[in-house]
Amino acid sequence: MQTRRPDPAQASRRALLGAALALTGSAVWAQGAATKFDLTALMAQLAQRKGGDARFTEERTVTTLDNTLRASGRLSFQAPDRFARYTEEPRAESMEVQGNQVVLKRGNRTRQMALDAIPELAALADAMRGTLNGDAAALQRHFNTQVSGNAARWVLLLTPLDARLARSVQQLEMAGTGAEVRSIDLRLVGGDRSLMLIDAPAPATPAPR
Amino acid sequence: MKPAGPLSPRYRAAVLLLWAALMALAAWQITRSTFTADLSAFLPATTDAQQRVLIDQIKGGAPARTLFIGIEGGSAAQRAAASRQLAAALRASGQFDQVSNGENDAWAGVGTWMFERRYLLSPAITPERFTAVGLREGIDDTLSMLGTPGGNALKGLLEQDPTGEVQRIAESMIPVRAPRTDDGVWVARDAGGNVEAKAPRALLLAGLRADGADLDAQQAAIATLRAAFATVQAQAPSLRLLVSGAPVFSVDSRTQIEAEIKWLAITGTVLISTLLLLAFASPLALGAAMLPVVTGVVAGIVAVSLVFGNVHGVTLGFGATLIGEAVDYAIYYLIQAGGRSQRDGTGWRQWLASGWPTVRLGLLTSLCGFAALLFSGFPGLQQLGVFSLAGLVGAVLATRFLLPVLMPDGARGMGLRRQLGHASRVAITVLPRTRWLWLALGLASAVLVWQRDSLWDAELSSLSPVSKEALALDASLRADITSGADGGAFVVVQGETAELALQHAEAASDRLEELVNQRVIAGFDSVTRFLPSLQTQQRRQAALPEAAALQQALAQATEGGPLKAERLAPFLQAVAQARSLPLATPETARSTAIAPLLNALMLQRPDGTWTALLPLQPVAEVVDLARVTAALQGVPQVQVLDIGGELGRMYQRYLGEARTQAALGGLGVVLMVAVALRNTRRVLAVCQPLLLAVLLTLGGLALLQVPMGILHLVGLLLVVAVGSNYALFFDMLQRGGEANDDTLASLLLANITTVLGFGLIAVSDIQALSAIGAVVAPGALLALLLAAAFIPRTPRPQIKQSNPA
Repeated sequence: MQTRRPDPAQASRRALLGAALALTGSAVWAQGAATKFDLTALMAQLAQRKGGDARFTEERTVTTLDNTLRASGRLSFQAPDRFARYTEEPRAESMEVQGNQVVLKRGNRTRQMALDAIPELAALADAMRGTLNGDAAALQRHFNTQVSGNAARWVLLLTPLDARLARSVQQLEMAGTGAEVRSIDLRLVGGDRSLMLIDAPAPATPAPR
Repeated sequence: MKPAGPLSPRYRAAVLLLWAALMALAAWQITRSTFTADLSAFLPATTDAQQRVLIDQIKGGAPARTLFIGIEGGSAAQRAAASRQLAAALRASGQFDQVSNGENDAWAGVGTWMFERRYLLSPAITPERFTAVGLREGIDDTLSMLGTPGGNALKGLLEQDPTGEVQRIAESMIPVRAPRTDDGVWVARDAGGNVEAKAPRALLLAGLRADGADLDAQQAAIATLRAAFATVQAQAPSLRLLVSGAPVFSVDSRTQIEAEIKWLAITGTVLISTLLLLAFASPLALGAAMLPVVTGVVAGIVAVSLVFGNVHGVTLGFGATLIGEAVDYAIYYLIQAGGRSQRDGTGWRQWLASGWPTVRLGLLTSLCGFAALLFSGFPGLQQLGVFSLAGLVGAVLATRFLLPVLMPDGARGMGLRRQLGHASRVAITVLPRTRWLWLALGLASAVLVWQRDSLWDAELSSLSPVSKEALALDASLRADITSGADGGAFVVVQGETAELALQHAEAASDRLEELVNQRVIAGFDSVTRFLPSLQTQQRRQAALPEAAALQQALAQATEGGPLKAERLAPFLQAVAQARSLPLATPETARSTAIAPLLNALMLQRPDGTWTALLPLQPVAEVVDLARVTAALQGVPQVQVLDIGGELGRMYQRYLGEARTQAALGGLGVVLMVAVALRNTRRVLAVCQPLLLAVLLTLGGLALLQVPMGILHLVGLLLVVAVGSNYALFFDMLQRGGEANDDTLASLLLANITTVLGFGLIAVSDIQALSAIGAVVAPGALLALLLAAAFIPRTPRPQIKQSNPA
């Protein structure tokens, strides 16, 4: 990861994480330094959160387009298997994943489908749910995992195992503080990229805003 | 013909010639007959529009042409490779119009169709769509998909389809319940959790090009599949092929029915021949006894072929039982005509005077019973009725006219008849003492039958000749491929023309789309997604702007946006082309890549009207039909159908009707007996054992917890029809004064052949036959025993005798 060339979006995210880090206690920092922080430790830490809502902003860079695309909305998670993304701006749309079922809403249309019928989608959903749940097995089913940082400030890098997925997804990088995921950086083959920054989550009781 | 002498040679020659000529004619007709094993013959035929659609669909629609295929064994990679190879071979064979296995290229043709016709297919196409505001909206919508893994596929289309019409059409066709995809092909989902581990499977769905009724073509296509798999298997021997679906059932049951008929015919002939040889010790008698049988079977087949235009395999299997019945007539004749010591060629006259009137009355009562089948709503049962009527008449006519010519003095040999006769005599002296026992049993049966409220609970599947194992495999493959959402609920839309049917389907689709948004249903399919009505295509075409206007609007729409208008020349060109694109109709689309979809979702009925089928996908297990029906209020010529439920209801209704018909048939038998005997006491004596036999048979079935269906009911009717003959014979014996051993022996022999005949079909693998056999075999035996047990003890001296013996 250190080998990648720096870019402004990542730099700003780093700054944000740095700020978040400053707020965390030094005890956590010390603990993280003392023992090696690995996937097992990260998963155990993430598994403590059973759900919650958070706002997100997304920036997408698409190679063939002149401008960056921006979106914002709300993310929602409930252990063990419900994950939803409600985009509010620039247009309302949503994706709700529960178990093996995906429900997409765009405009006034609703579509339901089986998640595992579309393996690429299933892999990405597993990446999200696996991370939020602290489910190492779900992640390792589809990805090579690489954890860096420490308990207070960590980065989880996922690279696809499956050749089919690797044809469209180059890598997925999640970064977080403690038990919270704070950014999701998805890089696609061909140079397109989506970076989601996630606000500090609301309390575990889901209160749709 | 003098009354006392033997038959003249000229008369004998004339009868023989006539018979031979009739048989030759019949043989010719039989060679021209079509034999079917079409299972839907045992589904009710009806004029109800709703049900007609249903039957149409079951008979010839997509379900009748679809194969469900699984590949088990080997490694996941081997199964995936095998799935691709097999699918490629099937697609190349030309015998399948659609082979799906999860590979995307399977739909390449449909994709091209959608792409080329996107401006006529997309529901978003309105004049507003091409204003600056509308275009901007469309482009933004499309752009919001980019930068996601899914959007990568759209990126290449951006210049040609910036408003995302392909995406819009494609999303409407996303299957709600596709199988799991792994390594690019469909695989079965794990049973999950506590369910026992299931062998992993690759899955394929193949639609046959052949019509659902063309069994030979279906058989050939299945053979192609097996051969293609054998090639695949040569490389990976641990792989196994699983195949199910209606074509397999039809082809297999035809093979099974053929084998079964052969087995029944051979076993039946051997058993009954053995019995006859024991009884007559004469091959000549055996040959003569077979003549009415052959005549009856031939008459039955010809009659069915003439009336229905085809002969069902099950009808032929049922014909085996006729052997047991028709041979009775020959037995009565051979024994009764041979009863005298004098052999002057006039023995048949004795039979004509003594046995014949009873045979004739017996025939009439049997005909009454079988005639009830003619009124059945099931074409399959109607065939059985026609077959039995014609067969019995043929057998009786052959007995009456042919046997006197060939064996005027009956059978000579005695064989074991003396012993049979003796046993019968002992039996008829002992049996009447057991009356109370029978009455008690009858009472117990009545209580048992009355207490079991679920007596008539056989499922519709009990009519199907398909084995339970085959049904289980079918259910498992179907569940894997369709996730249990198959053959469930449909919206059925009709129209006098294809255009009207499509317009009505569009109206229904609009309402259903609302239900999807309200999550009443998870989704639905409609032919109008890839083939809209002409009206809609014209409306969309009219909404497409001229090049200059579009260019101007586009310039406005893209100003300052991330996508520059200069890049969108292919879009302008595509819209210009779409403005003059020829509109598609079912006729023109029939020869395109969408033909399989069209054939599956739209049917032209024999009367020229059209039906569109819109399968509904439930959100959970079942579709809330009431809400769907309510939502469709006001849409013309639309119905909501629940296939499983509808079939079940239909079956229940016919079971009810069949009960009435059976009761009428039974009543007909009683009336016939009453008219012939004109004596209350005698009528009661004849009917009493029949009623008890039916009651005891019912009681036995209830005791064994046999789920009773429509075929058991038919069996009971046959018990009455056959049993009435025995009861009438005892009535005749009673009136003839003394019952000689030979007559008793003939009665016993006739009964044994009947019980054997029906016993044989009781062990048949064809459920439709075994149900009838399992009722008639014990019922007929009971009828004989009871007829003997309930001979009136003190016959009233008769002043006038109708048949002086």
